Amino acid sequence: MKNRIQELRRERKIRQEDLAEAVGVTRQTIISLENGRYNASLVLAHRLARYFDMQIEDVFLFDEEE
Amino acid sequence: MWLKRLFSDEPVDFEEQCRRRIKVGACIVFLGLLSVALGFLQEQKLMVFYLEAGAEDFPAHFYASLGIGLMAGGIMTVFRNVRYLRDPALRRKREVAEGDERNKLLGLRCWAYTGYTMFLLLYGGILASGFVSRTAALVLLTVTGVYALVLMLFKICLSRLM
Repeated sequence: MKNRIQELRRERKIRQEDLAEAVGVTRQTIISLENGRYNASLVLAHRLARYFDMQIEDVFLFDEEE
Repeated sequence: MWLKRLFSDEPVDFEEQCRRRIKVGACIVFLGLLSVALGFLQEQKLMVFYLEAGAEDFPAHFYASLGIGLMAGGIMTVFRNVRYLRDPALRRKREVAEGDERNKLLGLRCWAYTGYTMFLLLYGGILASGFVSRTAALVLLTVTGVYALVLMLFKICLSRLM
């Protein structure tokens, strides 16, 4: 599943460490999410969307064909 | 209740977990001491029921080494967790690392792949041991049986909880 975490983080000039701390994960998890190597759980997806003040579907892009 | 605690994904109080680990570490140190004492007693010619000839000094060395290993592991556990309790910044860092969902998934997958690999190795070992030793074949068969039984028990427990 694709996501816009890196794009949103850069737009808002947030460091990976700060985002990781805000959502209670390690920086490595943020890196893996941004690279598309790891899919967030529903809880983490919810926390990230809330952090960016957006809907989950605006942060995580679901592709039917994937 | 204990099963729920063991298998649920609910967040746990990290400080409480550290305290529990300190207690477990202390128990491990005690077990290590016991093991070293057993090795020492054996060296003082405590009667042991050892089946193999020519290995009379093996139990003493085995229990002493095992005890030293256990004590070292227990001391490390106690030391590390006391540090977490004393240093809030370090504790928070460790709490995040242990609670991190990717780390948890990595840990679970590592155990799962190790489990599959061990099962395959045991299977290969059973096939090969039939040509070599009856004792080895029986030991490997027993280990595989217990392994399968434990796997089934965990499957039953987890399917009831999830």
